[in-house]
Amino acid sequence: MRVPSLCSVFLIGTALAHGQVDQVTLRAAQQDDESWLMYGRNYSAWRYSPLDEIDTGNVHRISPVWIFQSGVSGKFQTTPLVRDGVMYVTGPSNHAWALDLKTGRELWHYSEPVPEGAVGCCGKPNRGFAVKGDRLYKVNFQATLVALEASTGEVVWEVELADYREGYSNTVAPLIVKDMVVVGIAGAEYGTRDFVDAYDAETGRRVWRFWTVPGPGEAGNETWAGDSWKHGGASTWITGSYDPDLNLIYWGTGNPGPDLDGTPRRGDNLYSDSMVALDADTGELRWYFQFTPHDVHDWDAVADPVLVDLEVDGEPRKGLIHANRNGHYYALDRTNGEFLVGRAYTEVTWADGIGSDGRPILIPGHEPTDEGTLTCPGLGGGHNWHATSFSPLTGLYYFNSSDGCQIYHSAPQDYVQGEFYFGSAMENVSGEPREGSILAVEPSTGDTRWRYPLVSPPSSGLLSTGGGLLFAGTSEGYFFALDARSGKPLWRLRTGGRVQAPAITYRFGGRQYVATASGTAIFVFTLPQ
Amino acid sequence: MRWGGLLLALGGALLSAQDVASNPFRGDAKAADLGKASFRLRCSACHGIRADGGRGPALNRGEFAAGDTDLDIYRVIAEGVPGTEMSGYAARNSEESIWRIVTFLRTLEASPDDTIDGNASQGEDIFWNQAGCGGCHRVGSRGGRFGPALTRIGRARSTEHLRASLLDPDQDLPPGYYAVEIVTRDGQTIRGIGVGFDDFSAQVRDAAGQLHSFFREEVRSMSREFTSLMPDGYGDSLTDEQQRDLLAYLQSLHGEEQ
Ligand code: HEC
Ligand code: HEC
Repeated sequence: MRVPSLCSVFLIGTALAHGQVDQVTLRAAQQDDESWLMYGRNYSAWRYSPLDEIDTGNVHRISPVWIFQSGVSGKFQTTPLVRDGVMYVTGPSNHAWALDLKTGRELWHYSEPVPEGAVGCCGKPNRGFAVKGDRLYKVNFQATLVALEASTGEVVWEVELADYREGYSNTVAPLIVKDMVVVGIAGAEYGTRDFVDAYDAETGRRVWRFWTVPGPGEAGNETWAGDSWKHGGASTWITGSYDPDLNLIYWGTGNPGPDLDGTPRRGDNLYSDSMVALDADTGELRWYFQFTPHDVHDWDAVADPVLVDLEVDGEPRKGLIHANRNGHYYALDRTNGEFLVGRAYTEVTWADGIGSDGRPILIPGHEPTDEGTLTCPGLGGGHNWHATSFSPLTGLYYFNSSDGCQIYHSAPQDYVQGEFYFGSAMENVSGEPREGSILAVEPSTGDTRWRYPLVSPPSSGLLSTGGGLLFAGTSEGYFFALDARSGKPLWRLRTGGRVQAPAITYRFGGRQYVATASGTAIFVFTLPQ
Repeated sequence: MRWGGLLLALGGALLSAQDVASNPFRGDAKAADLGKASFRLRCSACHGIRADGGRGPALNRGEFAAGDTDLDIYRVIAEGVPGTEMSGYAARNSEESIWRIVTFLRTLEASPDDTIDGNASQGEDIFWNQAGCGGCHRVGSRGGRFGPALTRIGRARSTEHLRASLLDPDQDLPPGYYAVEIVTRDGQTIRGIGVGFDDFSAQVRDAAGQLHSFFREEVRSMSREFTSLMPDGYGDSLTDEQQRDLLAYLQSLHGEEQ
């Protein structure tokens, strides 16, 4: 779809030049191969681009055209956005930049100090912008949402989502739905009670809030013993997806708190470790599916909810597929949350499969104890949060997995505001290194088509393309391309920095580019002219 | 110098020396419980889930090399021990949270004295001569470079870890010491300490100190094993007395001799 950018060439100087992104554009994001307009590339969170100039036959010839060195240390986990000749990148610790797509030159730099006392479990990363009209939206680490002028990086408004002094933080890329900015929150390791929020994109006024831990009198509150719901966690730190036809927003929720000690919170602990389907206009819960009831292993269910049409047992289904941290791949019916498929994709010792009701069939003896309990997968999964990819070209779903086991210890702990509320620790199994893999899975059955082994637990997200490629990176600093059909490695570059982000691709000046964050830099690749 | 470090560790000297000099949680059982939880989370990988030592020294001996007062312990946790695996925690933890860990450590019942009953100077002789340990290890500036330096090993590791290192070297390898084996296209096998091992390449240092570097596609196979390249027969080749003497020597190595 070249039309919008041709238009913008003719309309330079008018307000419309940067006013292209609206609900119509976002719905059509999958067809727009010039741009990258949202975290998961389209509302279905496919992270698939039809671009095919770079393909399995020529990818070995791509090389960097520019590199942007941010000079900011920390975890770069951003999905850059690309629109109208500009790349918008968020970095850790409340930094962000606009870069000239042609030269890589910085156009503006936004930054805001992280206040003393803002805490988080895992560094201060940020996973990207959302764009609407001539504004960009991002969260800041201290649990705020900020709207920036896309052309200058100036702040239009900033609203507080929650009080960081209570342990809230934020790292998620927002999602634009209609005239709203939808965001999640983090803090479950600090005993927060979490939510999904929608804000008016124009004013920053809150439109609705869905508490992922129901309060007294609300359905689901009875699944928390006593007052444990108050510190129940269930963070929402990875961007959800949206089905405009069903008007439903899908969002994954994280672990209940304290992570490894289930004794103060007997019950299923709804809606932790769940997929929730929310009415886009009101935020009301339409359905939920809990992957790990009463989790004691920190198995967040925040991984991408990917929307694909499936055929299950000969029946067409509107599917939602998801690689869960508890070691199982799931397919649900996204109209009503019905359980369709649940298959282990890595070594699982705590459950003997998933029952027909969607609940794991528990194997006794896997609660963390004082002495420690050996359970597979480990605390980080399985598949954790890293962006996944569905390719309509191959029909396969791609995600990564940490493979191996850990020893889970518990230690009872009282809640103290601002203190880590974890209920203990894990140990690695001596002599058993934790490794990883990238998997290609058949969405309708959960069958693994191929598995590419990694020597370390995976660190990056994935991108698939119309050129039959799958791009990924490693913690040792390689950025590489696999053949999406076979998993065969085709190209690699040692970038010199850990690759923790998913790559993106776009067309600019008639040529295809691939970009990724690595270390503290952004690398952009293309074929030689 | 010392004060400078401490004040720095306190993140801008918000508290005066008097404020940190005393443990605000001394004897507080709740604080000790919280301290135990953060100890398990942040410290147990090295000091053991029961604080009985591992890659780091045992902290349940009722005495600390760093000193006897709560402030001495606070200070070593906040500042770390420069040049060792023990990093400072002041930047990542609040003062309260460090004091709670100190409070927890103080609740541990002192373990029985596990000092090895052996003759350290005999052990020194065995180390450099009969057992040939010095061919692979250095103490101060003397010795080989294939294995890790043992200059500070008596302070850095628990007694149990030292014994296991001698008798069952495959247990609990120090960071950076795994084995890599490369089989080249012409059938030659190169085995040594892995300097690097990733999805596309490996770098290995052989027993002669020579560095080899390969891309995966250049060789027939490359593999990594988390096993030790230290000989594992010392349990048999050394008498019990010689083992005790050697361990007593290792225990005496506190980094002073240069
Ligand atoms: C990566 C491994 C590692 C971690 C993690 C670690 N330590 Fe240490 N620690 C060590 C080593 C090694 C030493 C010995 C340093 C030396 O050579 O003097 C040490 C020394 C100490 C000492 C001094 C012991 C003495 O007798 O003076 C204390 C106290 C201590 N650590 C407490 C902690 C606490 C509390 C934590 C967690 C907040 C922690 N350590 C985390 C490895 C570690
Ligand atoms: C052929 C070389 C070689 C010889 C000979 C050798 N070692 Fe080692 N040693 C190693 C290597 C390699 C390691 C690191 C892997 C491991 O921990 O087993 C090691 C580890 C150790 C460690 C653990 C160090 C740490 O940081 O935890 C100790 C203690 C040790 N050796 C003592 C000895 C003693 C005592 C002898 C003689 C009886 C000896 N070694 C002989 C190669 C050797």
